[in-house]
Amino acid sequence: MSKLPFWGVGLALAGVALLHWFLTRRMLAVSGRFSALVNRLREGPPEPGGDMTEAELVAAMIAATRAQFGETTEPTGPDTTALATEIKRTNSALLPQSSVTHVVFLGSLVLGGLASQLMGEATSPTSVLRSSRFVALFGDGPLAWVVLALGGVLVGFGTRMAGGCTSGHGLSGVSRLEPGSLVATAAFFGAGIAVSFVLEVLS
Amino acid sequence: MRDKMSHAVVGTIMGFVLSRAGFSSWDEVHAMFTLTDLRLVLGFGMAVVLLAIAWVVIARTTNVRWAPRHLHPGTIPGGLLFGAGWAICGACPSIALVQIGEGQLGALVTLAGMFVGNFLYAVAHERRFRWSQASCVDM
Repeated sequence: MSKLPFWGVGLALAGVALLHWFLTRRMLAVSGRFSALVNRLREGPPEPGGDMTEAELVAAMIAATRAQFGETTEPTGPDTTALATEIKRTNSALLPQSSVTHVVFLGSLVLGGLASQLMGEATSPTSVLRSSRFVALFGDGPLAWVVLALGGVLVGFGTRMAGGCTSGHGLSGVSRLEPGSLVATAAFFGAGIAVSFVLEVLS
Repeated sequence: MRDKMSHAVVGTIMGFVLSRAGFSSWDEVHAMFTLTDLRLVLGFGMAVVLLAIAWVVIARTTNVRWAPRHLHPGTIPGGLLFGAGWAICGACPSIALVQIGEGQLGALVTLAGMFVGNFLYAVAHERRFRWSQASCVDM
């Protein structure tokens, strides 16, 4: 499969992040969806009688807006519903999303990978990764799976601790010059480089 | 329903793009981190620049403001752990899913590990670290 040139990668990634914003009114951020699903597992389904009424929801959204953006967005008069609609239209990140939506998004990433594979050269599935270097380092048996599991745990733990991953911090945050994202991205690229050079020496 | 369809469309395109860019290949990620092939880094950097311009235009033409992403005590250690894990398993969160779609089925183990790690931090955060994660809704 011929590789995209660097400018193709740049255009495509920026296009995806913008499409995400325009279609969902949220910044692209993937690890947050993992966290939301884990929270749902830990806390169970939302309590049946515990749903907020429309008025409570509006009040909570106004409070959240003020907490994040200050008092500048003063609601005009008692018409808080209009403000709530406006928040939803312009920046729906203040509203919680259902677990189903998270699963749909994550599942569609699998679908995209499958589509790419089916439209490329015919290759059969592998029980590890399609990487001669990874297999040379860790084999294609139990050790490889242990390594993948360990790497996965580090990614899951680290992204939740740092509050974001390559998409949320790296793309969405760095492009807005957010301090937390700039530092987190420097940290994960730095650690990635260091560990990769260690693996290079080992192989 | 419409919102879910939107997410499905973006997710599918994103999975396809990440696959074709090469981010789902352990070898490509390794070449990126050992600086032997700068294609992915340059592509990522170009996307950041394009997005920076786009956000400025959007912010000037609409009244949209995005939630800040603050620096907190977990930012650096979390980033370091994440980077180490990414170099080892060759996957950031979305990539594990793309790899599964491509038939790199070892990523099923990676994905399980990611959920376990996320869960472990949630527990650790409640028990040990109690700093504010104001932006940790992560959206």
